[in-house]
Amino acid sequence: MRSIIFFWVLILVPALFMSGAAYRLLSHEQERIGRAAQEAMMERAAAISETIHVTIETVKDNLIRSLVEIDPGLLKQTLLDWEKTNPLVRNVFVFESGKKLIYPEKGMAATPEQRQFIARFEALFSGRIEFDRWGGDADPDYPRVNGVGRPDSAARQGDARKQLVTLSRAGRNPPAPVAAEALSDGAEIPGRGAASGWLPWFSENRLHVLVWVKSSSSSQIYGLEVELVTLLSRLVVDFPAMEDAGSAIVLTDGSGSFIHQSGQLKVSAKSRPLSQLAITGLLPHWKMEIYMDEDRLGSAARGFFYLSMLLVGIFIAAILSGGILLTRMTLKNMKAARQKTSFVSSVSHELKTPLTSIRMSAELLLSGRVSDVKKRDNYLSVIVSESERLTRLINNVLDFGKLEQGKKHYRLTTVEVDRFLTQLIEAHQVRISAQGLRIITRLAPGDFTIRTDRDALEQVVLNLIDNVLKYAGSGKYIKFVLTREPSAVLLTICDDGPGIPGDRREKIFEKFFRVDSSLTATQPGSGLGLSISRRILRDLGGDLYLEPEKNTGSCFTARITDHDTDNNSGGGR
Amino acid sequence: MADGMQNMARVSLTIAVLLVLVMVAGIAQTVAASSKVICTVETDRAVLPAGESQNVVLKVTLEAPPAPAGIRRPKVNLALVLDQSGSMNGSKMAQAKAAAVEALTRLGSRDVFSVVVYDTNVHTIVPAQSAGNVDRIIRTIEKIQAGGNTALFGGVSQGAAEIRKNLENDFIHRIVLLSDGLANVGPRMPEDLGRLGAALLKENISVTTVGVGTDYNEDLMARLSQNSDGNTYFVESGVDLPRIFAAELGDVLNVVATQVHVTITLPDDVQPVDIIGREGRIMGQQIELFMNQLYGDQEKYALVEVKLPAARQGDRLKIAQAEVHYQNPLTRQPETSRGASLVSFSHDPVQVEKSANRDVVREYQLNLKALAQEKAIELSDEGRQPEAVTALKQSADRLRQVGRLYEDPALLKEAEAVEDQADQIEEKGMSKKSRKILRTQSYQQKNQQLSQ
Repeated sequence: MRSIIFFWVLILVPALFMSGAAYRLLSHEQERIGRAAQEAMMERAAAISETIHVTIETVKDNLIRSLVEIDPGLLKQTLLDWEKTNPLVRNVFVFESGKKLIYPEKGMAATPEQRQFIARFEALFSGRIEFDRWGGDADPDYPRVNGVGRPDSAARQGDARKQLVTLSRAGRNPPAPVAAEALSDGAEIPGRGAASGWLPWFSENRLHVLVWVKSSSSSQIYGLEVELVTLLSRLVVDFPAMEDAGSAIVLTDGSGSFIHQSGQLKVSAKSRPLSQLAITGLLPHWKMEIYMDEDRLGSAARGFFYLSMLLVGIFIAAILSGGILLTRMTLKNMKAARQKTSFVSSVSHELKTPLTSIRMSAELLLSGRVSDVKKRDNYLSVIVSESERLTRLINNVLDFGKLEQGKKHYRLTTVEVDRFLTQLIEAHQVRISAQGLRIITRLAPGDFTIRTDRDALEQVVLNLIDNVLKYAGSGKYIKFVLTREPSAVLLTICDDGPGIPGDRREKIFEKFFRVDSSLTATQPGSGLGLSISRRILRDLGGDLYLEPEKNTGSCFTARITDHDTDNNSGGGR
Repeated sequence: MADGMQNMARVSLTIAVLLVLVMVAGIAQTVAASSKVICTVETDRAVLPAGESQNVVLKVTLEAPPAPAGIRRPKVNLALVLDQSGSMNGSKMAQAKAAAVEALTRLGSRDVFSVVVYDTNVHTIVPAQSAGNVDRIIRTIEKIQAGGNTALFGGVSQGAAEIRKNLENDFIHRIVLLSDGLANVGPRMPEDLGRLGAALLKENISVTTVGVGTDYNEDLMARLSQNSDGNTYFVESGVDLPRIFAAELGDVLNVVATQVHVTITLPDDVQPVDIIGREGRIMGQQIELFMNQLYGDQEKYALVEVKLPAARQGDRLKIAQAEVHYQNPLTRQPETSRGASLVSFSHDPVQVEKSANRDVVREYQLNLKALAQEKAIELSDEGRQPEAVTALKQSADRLRQVGRLYEDPALLKEAEAVEDQADQIEEKGMSKKSRKILRTQSYQQKNQQLSQ
């Protein structure tokens, strides 16, 4: 028992430890998956941000460069052409530094759009605020230094962004690539711009962008207002599409309004972003917000967690069932070992008892002190009967071995069972009567001649008689009933002893089994008799069974098959 | 003698051949001339009161010729931008699909067709390709399913991106936007979408907007169309969609002039005052207008108010000259037309009154009506409904008065219609539907939209 407990401790402790460790590992893994998804999304957003930043930087550089390159004599006309034809240009202006707005003219402004434009940038055009108040690029060689407009820098970007960069190069006709390359290689360009800038301007809570250049040859500041709608319209087209239903990347403007969304997750103004990052200083307060459905994220990771836990569960269950199986087998083996030990001691005891009787009788006879013929006969008959008992016992043990190995051979002969039974009862009458049992014999009329193994049959009947004598010796009778069936003879042997408890009625036919009671404790026995008898009869095509329980005693019925009939072709081995 | 006869016969044959050639050339010239856009400049009265400075309305009319038969029409580059937000579910979506198929089947294999759908996200389901791939495109269209939000700005942007794939070729570029709801992803102010329209117009892309039901933002849709010179339609239920798409395609396939620049030049003593109903630019003595296209047989016009100096009795002055530059999509050649307005001055009020140009008067009044309708919407939006009703009633009165004066049944009929609108608003308030009707009618009038 101790070893079993030890065995279970050996199995359970590592199993529990493993499940604990697996649980911890899986919990960490679950968190890690969630974090990895978030990080991937943030990297994605950062990459988009970076692309937008680079695009807008290029747009800025190209616009300033285009402005710087305008021929001063054609300044107004060129700007007007841009305004008419370039979707990226919302308004253009020419401002006489410190004096007044030359174009568009105040009051005579031709369109409502221009009137709004003047009103929007009134602080600049009235001279209250300097253009370079928030800094500007003072380097007249700005374009050269930055090498803007290089075709390869545009080619790396998406189609829409490429077009945007092209738009920003000039009016409707961007400079020829050759010229652009020549410039980017540091060729001398007429550096007329003394200063320039990209001026984000908030008016009525909306962002506007003014690109301006201060001419070095005159006091003029000129430039254009960028059409942010065009900028946006081109940027959103190149936004990578995301089919993921559980996340979204949203571009928001300074007021927090959604400009564009990529990803299927439903996001409202009330939703809280997981993370947000500024896009570029050129579009202040514009942000990229990342939204992820935590439930959905959690459920994906939970799915992994549950699956893994299921696998660990199966593993542990396998260990436990293995343990249980091993324990069962161990217990069974231990029981078998115990039964065998008990069998050996029983058999030894059974062998010893008749041997002792034989030895005592033989010694008395040998001493020559028994002169009484009757007594001497008595001793001799004891020797004979005990020898027979010994033979039966040894036959049983031998048969048991043969039966176990399937090596028992049967010899079929014609047997008149009624006669055979009468002779057998007669032969053992003394033994039975000695136990104080009355013999009752009931033979149904008819012919009981069958073909079977006589010796085997005798062994069965003797085992049954021995059984009654051993366990029902306290009864008053032993009853033999012989009935005939078309293909078999039924021999029922009944007694009025203590009977067999209900739950053991089938177990008594198992080998080595002995009903655990005070009676069996006092009677020697191998626990083989009934087991062997049933096995012999079954081998011969019949059976041995216990009749349903009655008030007292027990009845065993042996069904002895007749091997003469056509139906029973099986039999002796 | 026989020689003489022969010579005569030869000479007469030569003359006959020459005559035939001259005639053929003449006819060819006539055909060429008649296929040009005709530009006329008229005033509301041909004779004006002498001796006083006055404001006069100029009507610059562009009469497009019918699309010539037997000549291949210009290629069309069409992008359909369809709303597939949740509200489109059911019959609206089924009709929208039918409408898309209707549009597709009217195009030919030389045309380019693309379909963009938008909900919360934007997807190009049919990238720009030959409209000849009918079966494949229809199969794709049939798969559209409704659900999600309304990313209208993104949808139009993506439609424009599809158009741009063929921007450099000689196509008539057109986006047809269909929506039944309020844009709730991306820029959604009418002003923003108007600016997008204006930016697209600079690339010669027009956006036609089709509003379905009573829940879309008609201001946004009208602004987008107006600034990009497209058409705008309001359909109450999806049933009308295939018809509208067919009408729109009828227009698009019938374009006879593109990139139409109108420049009106005024003499030094004539001052420009206002452009009525259209967006344009006043640059000193010049007024500039732009239209993206003219459809066959269409008459488009611009109304401009100018201030004339005092003139003497009997003076005959040229008060405006208009020049139209446009691209002929059939010949791919630039064309120019000119027109000028001459007026006389008289002290005789009868002569002045008799000289009234009913056509100009009518169109002027109808445009004023369109402006009154917009004013009514504005007032109603500010919660000043009684004033909105008054504005409409005043407009109806004015239409009736002028209609009676010039015995113009069209104006009288229009007066009745406006009166009805005013009564309805007075009775039931400005319903979503009334607002949409007012906005759409006003737009269609100001832009002389052909198909309605």
